[in-house]
Amino acid sequence: MAEFNWSPEELQEIVDNNRLVLFMKGTPEQPQCGFSNRASMVLQQLGQPFVTVNILTDHRAIPSVCAWSDFPTMPQIFVHGELIGGSDIALEMYESGELQQMLVDGESE
Amino acid sequence: MVTEQWMVEEVRKVVPDAEVEASDLHGSGDHFHVRVISESYQGVRPLQRQRPILNHFKPHIAQNIVHALDLKCMTPEQAGESGDTAFDPHGEEVEFFGVHIRRPDKE
Repeated sequence: MAEFNWSPEELQEIVDNNRLVLFMKGTPEQPQCGFSNRASMVLQQLGQPFVTVNILTDHRAIPSVCAWSDFPTMPQIFVHGELIGGSDIALEMYESGELQQMLVDGESE
Repeated sequence: MVTEQWMVEEVRKVVPDAEVEASDLHGSGDHFHVRVISESYQGVRPLQRQRPILNHFKPHIAQNIVHALDLKCMTPEQAGESGDTAFDPHGEEVEFFGVHIRRPDKE
């Protein structure tokens, strides 16, 4: 497998090819930050598969992802290629039903 | 290390009309829960509400002066309905899992 370099093109490809993507510290099984865990818990509530990217595996990851998305904190959640924000927004949008709606709406496009 | 008062003043620079409340979750000056209540958030999506504030704190986050920032940007109506808890990402009970705690300045 070719080396992953966290380039904007590579990152864009991940969110373009997966409807639900979570950039997080650690993994859903072993989260390394409470915010990342909260984001992962919210996505698990959706009952849909999602892709996670552990940004602690490479020191280049956090600066690269944050510069590409223009969002300074982790975790970051992407729905149908669009950044919705961090764990606070994910929870807010889940509770209001907006997140579920966004997933459905993206399917028909 | 920064103070709750500093956080409030900095957020007000970005959203001047806002009612701002900052809680230093650990007393360590780097984990904050911040509630921002503004009429100007009417009809604005959650990410767009946070972006100007996050952009303002970008240097502090990048340098880890502010390590954790849990932002709640609400309209006055939403604030009226919202609960009285703050999220602590490094709660002591279960490491890394985060716990909901009472906002420290509330009884």
